[in-house]
Amino acid sequence: MAVTVGLVALALFGVSGLQPYDTPQLDPSPALLPVYLLLSLVRLAVAYSVALVLALGVGHLAARSPFARRLILPVLDVLQSVPILGFFPVAVGLFIAVFGGTALGVETAAVFLIFTSMFWNLAFGVYESLITVPEELNLAAEQLALPSALRWSRLVLPAVMPNLLYNSLISWANGWYFLIASEIIAVGPARYTLPGLGSYLAQAVALGRNDQVVVGLLVLIATSVGMHLLIWGPLATWAERFHLEETGDHPRTPRVARVLVRSRIVRWFTRSVVIPAGQQGLAAAGRVLALWGTAGRWLGAAVAAAMVLGLGAMALRLWRLFTLRPLSPEVWHIPLDLFLTLLRVTAALLISTVVSVLIARPVMRHPRTRGMALALIQICASIPATAFFPLIVVLLSWGLGMNAAAVLLALTTMLWYVLFNVMGAAAAVPQEMHEAAVSLGLGRWQSLRRVFVPSVLPGLVTGCVTAWGAGWNAMILCEYIEAGRKVHSVRGIGATLDRATYQTGDMQIVAASLGSMVLLIVAVNHFLWDPLYQRVAARYKLDA
Amino acid sequence: MTTALPEAALDAAPAAALLRLQAVEQFYGGRIRILGPVDLDVREGEFLSLVGPSGCGKSTLLRIVAGLLHPTRGTVLLRGRPLSGVNPAAAVVFQSFALFPWLTVVDNVALGLEAQGLALMERFKRAQKYIDMVGLSGYERAYPRELSRGMKQLVGLARALALEPELLCMDQPFSALDVLSARTVRDLVLDLWSSTQVKTKTILLVTHSIEEAVAMSDRVVVMRPNPGHVTETVDLRALPRPRRADQPAAREVIDRMYGLLG
Repeated sequence: MAVTVGLVALALFGVSGLQPYDTPQLDPSPALLPVYLLLSLVRLAVAYSVALVLALGVGHLAARSPFARRLILPVLDVLQSVPILGFFPVAVGLFIAVFGGTALGVETAAVFLIFTSMFWNLAFGVYESLITVPEELNLAAEQLALPSALRWSRLVLPAVMPNLLYNSLISWANGWYFLIASEIIAVGPARYTLPGLGSYLAQAVALGRNDQVVVGLLVLIATSVGMHLLIWGPLATWAERFHLEETGDHPRTPRVARVLVRSRIVRWFTRSVVIPAGQQGLAAAGRVLALWGTAGRWLGAAVAAAMVLGLGAMALRLWRLFTLRPLSPEVWHIPLDLFLTLLRVTAALLISTVVSVLIARPVMRHPRTRGMALALIQICASIPATAFFPLIVVLLSWGLGMNAAAVLLALTTMLWYVLFNVMGAAAAVPQEMHEAAVSLGLGRWQSLRRVFVPSVLPGLVTGCVTAWGAGWNAMILCEYIEAGRKVHSVRGIGATLDRATYQTGDMQIVAASLGSMVLLIVAVNHFLWDPLYQRVAARYKLDA
Repeated sequence: MTTALPEAALDAAPAAALLRLQAVEQFYGGRIRILGPVDLDVREGEFLSLVGPSGCGKSTLLRIVAGLLHPTRGTVLLRGRPLSGVNPAAAVVFQSFALFPWLTVVDNVALGLEAQGLALMERFKRAQKYIDMVGLSGYERAYPRELSRGMKQLVGLARALALEPELLCMDQPFSALDVLSARTVRDLVLDLWSSTQVKTKTILLVTHSIEEAVAMSDRVVVMRPNPGHVTETVDLRALPRPRRADQPAAREVIDRMYGLLG
C-alpha cells in the first residue's frame, strides 16, 4: 500500500516539478492555497510512508537480531539527537548534486528533510514495543509455525500498532513543523522555493504580510484538525483492540481526540472506511513486510557499508577543510556561543517542566478535558515556530529582549513535547492510586509532591530528553529570525551557524559549530539524560 | 443534594448505624444507571460484606461509602450527618494494592499520617506498630516491587489501619492473591478485627466469593446487576465463629446465596 502511495506521489511530483521551482516569489493569491496545501500534503505523505516502512524494518531488525541492535541503536540515538536543521544545507547539496539540479532533486531533498523529522521516533517506537511483547506471545507464534506474512500481520503489526499511532501523531506534528524549513531551501546564494503551504507561510513571514500568515495558519490548523477527526481519531479507536495489557477497566493510554470521535459522521467514517482500511492494510502490510526477512538483511548490510563509506568521505572533506586554509578567527567565539545557547535551551526546558506539571494535573483529572487537551496539544505542536515570528516582532517592539524572544520561540516547540509526555504518563496512573491518595487525606501540595510528580517522572524525563533535542533544533531557527524584511538576531551558536550558512558561506564555521553542537548534545545525552532516565525508570516505574 | 428529611425518619434510625445510605443511585455518563436505588446501613462494630457478580455495583457502592465517589442521587449519612467529600471515618484497602512504588513500605504506611499532620517521630512509631502487627517487621525499608503480592496487600492493610479509622473498607482485597496468601491475609484480618489491639471495629468487605463472605461476616448483602441493586441482606450473627465451609449450617447459607444469584 505504502509503495502504491509512493508511486502515485512521485508521479504527482513530476507535475509539480514542471513549475519553475526557483522562482523567487510565490504567487500569494489565496485561490492557489488548496493547490499548495495538496502539494505539501503529498510531500508529507510520501515522507511518512517511507519513514513508516523503514521504521518497521529497522525497528524489527533491531529487536530480533542482537548484532543489528548493537549497530542500529547507537546510530539512531546520535542521529535523532542531532539538530537536523543544521544539516539541511549539506543534505540538500547532496541531493541536488545527485539529481543534477533538476526539480526532482529539489523535491527529493525536501521530502528527505521532512523524512528526517519523522523517522527516528517511529523506529524507536517500533523497537521499544517489540521488545516488550510478552515472551509467551513470541513462543506461541513460533509454536504455531506462523509464516512470515502472517507473523507480521497477526503479531508484529498489532503489537506495535498503539505505539506506532502515538508516534505517528508526533511525526506528523514534526513534519508540519519542518515543512517551512523544507520548502524554502537555500544553499549559499542559490535559493529554491517549492510551491507549498510551508513556503507560502515562510514568504508571508519574510515579507511581513501578517494577513497571509493568518490565512496560511488557519489552513494549516484546519488541516491538522481534519486529520485528527478523520484519520488519527478513528485509527486510535480501531487500535485500542491491540493493547497488550488492557485490563478492561479503563484504557491505559491517552485516547487522542476521543471527544471528537463522538460525532455521528466521524463514527460512520470510522466504521465504514477506517476500520476496513485498517484491516486490509494490516494484511497487505504483512505481505509486503514479509519480504524484509531476506531483503532486510542485505539492505541492512548495504546501508551499514554506505554509512561507513559516507563517514570516511566526510572525515576526509573535514580534514581538507581545516588544513588547507588557516583557521578563521571566528572559530574561537564558538565556545561562548555554545554556552549562551545552552543557557537558553536550559531556561526553556525549566519553564516547560514547571508549566507542564502545573497544567497536566488539573487537565488529566477530568476525562473530558483530557481527550480535548491531547488533541489540542497535537495541533499546537504542529504550528511551526516560524509562524510565531510576526508575534515576536511585535513583542520586540514592546521592548522585550531578543534573548527572551528566542526562549519564547523555543518554547513553542519544546513545551508540547514535555506536556504531551507528562499527560501520557499521568493517564497511565491507575485510578486506584489516585483514590488511595484521596482516601489517605493527602492535601493539594502533598499529593502533587508525593504522588503526582513521582508518578509522571519517567514521562517527564522522556519529554525533557525529546524537548532538549528539539530545543537545539529550534535555536537554529530562533536566534536568527528574518521577519518583515528585517533580521533580528542574538549571539548564540544557532545565529553563528545561520550567518555562516546563509551569509558568509564560511564552511569552516559551519562545520565547527555543527560539530561542537552535536558533541555537546551527545555528551549531555550520554552523561546526564541516559543515567537519569535509568534511575528514574527503575525507581518510579508504576508496577507495584 | 440533601433533601430535607422528615425528623421522624431520623429518629427512627437505630442509634447503631455508623453510616446510612438512602436511595443512592449512580449514573454513568448521565444516562445509564449502573447502581440503585440502594438503601443500606453500616452498623457500628459489624463486619459487613457485599457479594455479587461483576458489574453489580458493589465496588461502586464501596467507593460511595468511602466518599471517593459522590452518588448521582440519594444521601449518605455519617452518624446522621450528610457526608460530603472523603469519608473521614473510613480507610480503604484496594484490590490492586495501590501502593506508591517510589515509597518504601514504612513511607507508604506513614503517608496518610503525614497528611493528618502528625510529627515525624510519631508517624514512624505508629507506622512501625502497624507494620509489626501485620507481621512485616524487617521489611520497612523494602520497596513494594520487592515484595510478594500477599505482602503487598499486608502493606495496604497496615496503611489503612494506621489511620485508625472507624470503618475499614476493603475492595476485593484477596482477589489478586493466590489461594494460600489470600487465606493468610484473611485470617489476619479476622484476628485483628476481634483483637483489642486495633481500634477499627467496623469492616465493609466487597468480594465476589460467597464462601469468603460467609466465613467472615456478620451480615452479607447480596447484590445483582443491571442495574446494581440489593436482592437480600442475610444476617449471620447466629452462625458460630470460627466458621468453616463444611459446617452444615454454613453450607446451607452458602447454597441459599448461590440460589439467590443463580
